[in-house]
Parts: sequence; C-alpha cells; structure tokens
Amino acid sequence: MDLILEGLSLSLSWESFLAIVLGVAAGQVLGAIPGLTASMAVALLIPYSFYFSPWVGIPMLMGMFKGSLFGSSTTAILIRTPGTPAASATVLDGYPLAQQGKGAKAIKMALYASVFGDTFSDICLIFFASLLAMVALMFGPAEYTILIAVALASLGMLSSKPAWKGLLAMLLGVTIGTIGLDPITATERLTFGNPELEEGIGLIPMLIGFLAVSEVFRQMESSLADLSGRAIQFSKKRADNRVSWAEFKSCIPVMFRASALGTAIGAMPGLGSTVAAFLAYGEARRTSKQPELFGKGSLEGIAAPEAANNAVSGANLIPLLAFGIPGDIAAALILSAFMIQGINVGPLAFSENPVPLYAIYGALIMANLVNLVLGFGLIHVSRFAFAIPRRLLLASVLVIASAGSYALRGSLFDVQMVFVFGILGFVMIRFGFPTVPLLIGFILMPLLEENLRTVLLLASTYDNNLLFVFSRPAFNVLLFIVAVILVLVGWRRLKLRRLPLPPFDS
Amino acid sequence: MFKFLALAFLLMPFTASAGSYPERPITLICPYSAGGGGDTATRMIAKLAGDMMGVKINVENKTGGGATIGIGAVSKAKPDGYTLGFVSTSPITIRTHMMKAPYDPLKDLSYVGQFVASSQPLVVLKDSPYKTLADLIAYAKANPGKLRWSTSVQRGGPHVAVEAMFKQEGAEATFIPFKGGSKVLAALLGGTIDAAMMSEGNKATLDGLTRILAEGTPNKNPVDPSVPILTDAGYPIAPAIFFGLAGPAGLPADVLAKWDEVLAKVVETDEFKALADKRKWTLAFAGHAAFTKTVETDYAAAKKAIAEIGMK
Repeated sequence: MDLILEGLSLSLSWESFLAIVLGVAAGQVLGAIPGLTASMAVALLIPYSFYFSPWVGIPMLMGMFKGSLFGSSTTAILIRTPGTPAASATVLDGYPLAQQGKGAKAIKMALYASVFGDTFSDICLIFFASLLAMVALMFGPAEYTILIAVALASLGMLSSKPAWKGLLAMLLGVTIGTIGLDPITATERLTFGNPELEEGIGLIPMLIGFLAVSEVFRQMESSLADLSGRAIQFSKKRADNRVSWAEFKSCIPVMFRASALGTAIGAMPGLGSTVAAFLAYGEARRTSKQPELFGKGSLEGIAAPEAANNAVSGANLIPLLAFGIPGDIAAALILSAFMIQGINVGPLAFSENPVPLYAIYGALIMANLVNLVLGFGLIHVSRFAFAIPRRLLLASVLVIASAGSYALRGSLFDVQMVFVFGILGFVMIRFGFPTVPLLIGFILMPLLEENLRTVLLLASTYDNNLLFVFSRPAFNVLLFIVAVILVLVGWRRLKLRRLPLPPFDS
Repeated sequence: MFKFLALAFLLMPFTASAGSYPERPITLICPYSAGGGGDTATRMIAKLAGDMMGVKINVENKTGGGATIGIGAVSKAKPDGYTLGFVSTSPITIRTHMMKAPYDPLKDLSYVGQFVASSQPLVVLKDSPYKTLADLIAYAKANPGKLRWSTSVQRGGPHVAVEAMFKQEGAEATFIPFKGGSKVLAALLGGTIDAAMMSEGNKATLDGLTRILAEGTPNKNPVDPSVPILTDAGYPIAPAIFFGLAGPAGLPADVLAKWDEVLAKVVETDEFKALADKRKWTLAFAGHAAFTKTVETDYAAAKKAIAEIGMK
C-alpha cells in the first residue's frame, strides 16, 4: 500500500499534472494536423527528456499520445481528413454528421468514446496486464489469420448496392496493397524498379489523398456562391450540438464491446489500431438496431471506432509492461523514454521496484481526465477555426495535405501520392464506386497475406502438414468462438426472419 | 589584375572556411523514421556534437528503400561537411549485395566515424532444450528444415551470419520473417519460433525470459561474455552492427579531423553513455580510418558469404 501511494504521489504532483496538461494539449493539436504525429513530436523530445525528472517527461509523453488520438478525429469528422490512420473509420459517420450541421455532436461523441476506450484499457492494464499478455502471446500468425479473416467477413457486409463495383474497388485496394516488398521472400513486387515504392504506398499519404483531397476536388465542382459560404455549418439547435444522456446510454454497449476488442488487439503486437477501428465499426453495424444509419451519420458508428482505437493505444502498454515488448511505435517511444531515465519495464519490474509502475498508472488515469476536459476546449477552437469561407478551407486542406505528407518523412514522392490518390478517389466518387472497400482491401489484405503465408511457411517445418494449427490451443478456442458467433447470427436471422443488412452507402 | 581580384573573391569563402569548420548549421540525414533506435542515436549525436561545435545540427528524416534513399541523398550531397548522414550496417555492408542501391558503399561515401556497435545475441527460450550453440546446430542437422528461427531484419547482417553458419555445418533451418524485433520476441516467447538473433535478446535475457547461445557481432556479448562469437567458433562472418556517420565521398581532411575529435568526446559524455547503457549498445568509437577499415572488411566478407548462401 505504501508503495502504491509512493508511486501515485510521484505522478500526481503539480509538476506532472502540468506536464500532462501540456502533453495532452500539444497532442490534440498535433493529432489534428495530418502528417504531424505525436510519435514525431515525442521522438524530437526524447533527447531532452534526459534533463527532466522522469515524472515530468513520461506523463507528458503519455498525455501527448492520448491527446493526439482524439485530436485526429476532429479533422476526420469536420473535413474528412484523418490526422492519423486510426481515425479513418471515424470519417465514415463523422463526416456525414458534420455535413448535417451536427459536427459538434459528432466530436463530443468521439471525445466520450475516446476517453471511455482509454479508461477501459487502462483499467485492464492495471489489473490484468500479465494475464492478458500471457494470453496474447499465444496468438501467432495462425490466430491472426483467423482474426483478420473474420474482420474481412464482417466488413465485407459494408459493400454497397452494385456488388461488382464494391468488389472492383476492393480488388483495386488489394492490388495497391501488394506494392512493395513481398512479406516472405522480400522480393520487389509492382515497384517497377522505383526504390520509392520498395516499402509500399504509405498509409498516411494514401488516406489523406483518398479521403480528404478527393473531397476537395469534389467540392471544387460546386458553384461559386456555394464556395463563398461558411466551410462548415454548425446547427443552431442545442440538441444538434450535444450528446444527450439517452444517446450516450444507447452507445454504452457498443463502447464496451469496441473497447474490449481494442484492448485485445492492442495486447497483441502486430494488428494495430486502424484494424481495430474498422473491426469495431463492422461489429457495431452488425449488432446495431439501426444498421441503416451507418454511413449516413450514426453515433454508434463514431463511438465504436473511437473507443476501439483508443483502447488499442492503452493496451499496447500491456506487452510492454509484461514482457518488455512494445506493441506499437508509441509504446516503443515510451520504452526508450523509460530506458533513458533508467526505469526498468518488463517481467522483473514488479519484483524489483514497482513504484514507477504505480506512478505510470496514476499518470495514465490522470491523462484521461485531462483529455476529456481539454477536449471541450478543442471543440470550441475548431468551431472558430472552421468558420471560414469554404473556398479558403478547400485551399488550406490542399496545403495541409501536401505539407503534412511531406513532413512525415521528407519525401516529395509522398506528396505526389497524395494527389494521385486524390484523383483516384475523385474519379471513383464521380463514377459511383464505393470508397470504403478500397480502404479495407488496402489495410487488411496485406496483413492477411503476411500472416497466411507465414502459416504456410510454418507448415513446411511440420512436414508440410497444415493441420499443425490445431495443436495450438488459442487457435482451437478462437475457431470455436467464431463458430458459435456464426451459429448465433444464423439462428437469430432465421428466428427474426430478418433480412440481411441493408446495403451500405456513404 | 581585375581577373586576379575576381578569382580571389571567388576563392575567399573556401579559404575562409578552411580553418574554421563548422561555421554554419549542419544537416544530419537520418534514413530511418522518427522514433527508432537509429533516430534516437542521431538526435542525441546532433544535440551533443552541436553543443560542442557551437553550431546547430538539424536532423532530417529521409526514409524509404530500406534506408537506401536517405543514404543515397547523403552520397549525392556536396562534400563540404555540411550534409552528413547516419549509417548502419545493413544498407552499407549487407543489403548492397542483394539490391540495386543508389550508391556504391566503397566509392560514393566517406566514413566519418562509428560510435556504437550493438550486440546481436542468438537466443532461445530460458527452458529450451538447446543449452549450447552445438545443441542447436545438432538439432538442425538431424532434422532438416524443422528448426524455426528469425532476426529483427530480414536479409540484414545477423540473418546472413546465421545462414552462413548453418551452410558451413550443412544444417538446414527455416527462416520465418517478422517485421521488427518486438514481433520476433513475441513469436519466440509464444513458441512460434525456436531461436532468434536480435539485440532485444539481451534485455529479454536479463529479464529471465531467454538464454544466449552465441554472439553474432565481433565484440563479446555484454550480458553473457562467456558465449562464443560466431567467427571465434569458426564460422564465416560476424559483421559489426554499427551506428556511424558518413558523408559524400571526398570530404575534406579538416572536416574528418574535426569529427574524429568531436565524436570521440561525444561518446564519453554522461548523456550518451547513459543512453547506450540503457539500450545495451556497446559504445565503440572508431574514427574515420578505423571505421573505413571495418566497412571494407565486412563488405568483402558479406559479399563472399552471401554468394555462397545464394541469398538474393
């Protein structure tokens, strides 16, 4: 108990509180600017963190990461520009809501869901870190393959009316996803000898181009009078600018499921928050009472991906604290900050000196509260920031999209990609092709390929017997769960005589 | 007379700068993305060396092409000492034998200095039946293709070193690629693979999760100095896994001399020592001459080993 208090007193001091406030504020702003990520800011700060007390530096980093995840959803909702890839699923319902004048409502829902997901995964981290990490380690390529296949199946339901157009869009996404090094043999594919393509098409330039720049091109077609109007209209009605208790309550089950999903995915190194967000979105739509609202401005459609992607970022610390394995770049950066400060994380940390761990827990929970409070501030700021004429906003989006994608890794090639995908997205919208299947194909299929082919490679070490997967306990359990879900879904449909989900169009 | 004056005027900036490098900000290109080990090292060097030389050193991340794009940019910069870059083993001595890089590591770059040599332990699980390197090789020989192993970078130095060892022993093992050391460690702990060579293995061993069987670089393993170095055990190659600085070919002698002096001091600072200690890097300063020799030796050894293994 003394140790817990000692730890908490480290992170709940004035200095660390101020550091958290600073970190969250900086994170929210950075997150909202596409191309600038909290990881970049943290990487810049790490050499200097040596000069800070650990309990100023580390809480600031954690605040930054939490703030940036929420910040990136504000631009995803208002201008269809996800600040980070993890917010791209939030675009699907957030942007339609913003178009209806309900931008503030959408952002508030995103804020509540973000803080909910963060808090959920932090509680899991505090109480079950070692248990969750042990279970997560049992997940290897075979289990990932099943998980991704389930994700694809549930997201496949997002295909829109002319099925062939959705299929074509997805195939295009898959093809673009194969550009770069082959995941197993590391030979070049579809690079045409261009070294810029060797590491594949960058996810961030692709998303910025495909989602934001294409929308700019589309709006440039509208009349001049239209273009001089305010960029984003916020409805005058109070109900359109807040999330009522009834609305919040109806999203609680969705947020619980999405947070649990995000925590599970975050505990496993290798899938990531973008996958979690899309998976939670598909799952929320499948279980929703109003699936027809998805893609047109469903609050559940915002709550699910936001809760899931924030839960992932908290849960990425689970394998870090349990085994010293950083789940993603944010966790890797936090690990290096720990190391610079001489704080050991990993399986021995608890028996050696648990005080820093309790301090970390304190900082995490505190950062969630600060994120909630500062989030309201960001909503007000963004309402003013986007009260400019539409023509100015469109031009600024193009500038931000170019500068942001250049800043990412100092590559002009990435800027070209932004415009290539902007044109592609525009052409697809004009000819009535759905854009979501392309994103799903691009994000999920490379992961499916990588894991499936690793399974096949592993089979070669089991005398070419693919049945080795059944010797893995986690695989059997997962297969059983998937089978149960399939049977339940089928049974419910038969019983309710419910038609398949309505077509998805956004 | 006028011509002479014009010529003198033209030459002035060169003669003025000759004795006082550096006199304006230096750009340090990091070919890896922000946040990785290479990036942390580059930024620490930039900060410490910049303070010592009294100029600002700006770090620019230029990633892609397995670090060859950033290094390519360094090789094409003006050789005046104001554009240098961070270099590590793979894109200099290893990958260049398997891909078309936009530079020739022996002709297009000057090697300014090495400051870190990281350790690459070959690890197995703590309770693994393989107690020694010989146990592991015996299993791979008796069961061709059944031993599963990995490294944090596919076709990097450690991958080549271990393949060359198996090749010499006539053993056959299956390389399972994963993206990055943390995924390899997770796969090892989860039982998907049996062995791995990666720098993360040192911390995992200190944490009581793994056991070290051998060291894949030319320096003794910092955690368990009793394990054999691959070349000492008679195997073809144990390439240095270095962090260093390089510039375009033909850097002036005064620039090289200045960096020899500064880098030697940087690695002695408390900040840098603390960073290296925590990251389990072995500080290994080598000036221009020694670093160039390391690169040349490893380049030749890797060329031979890669041709023998037939890795592409």
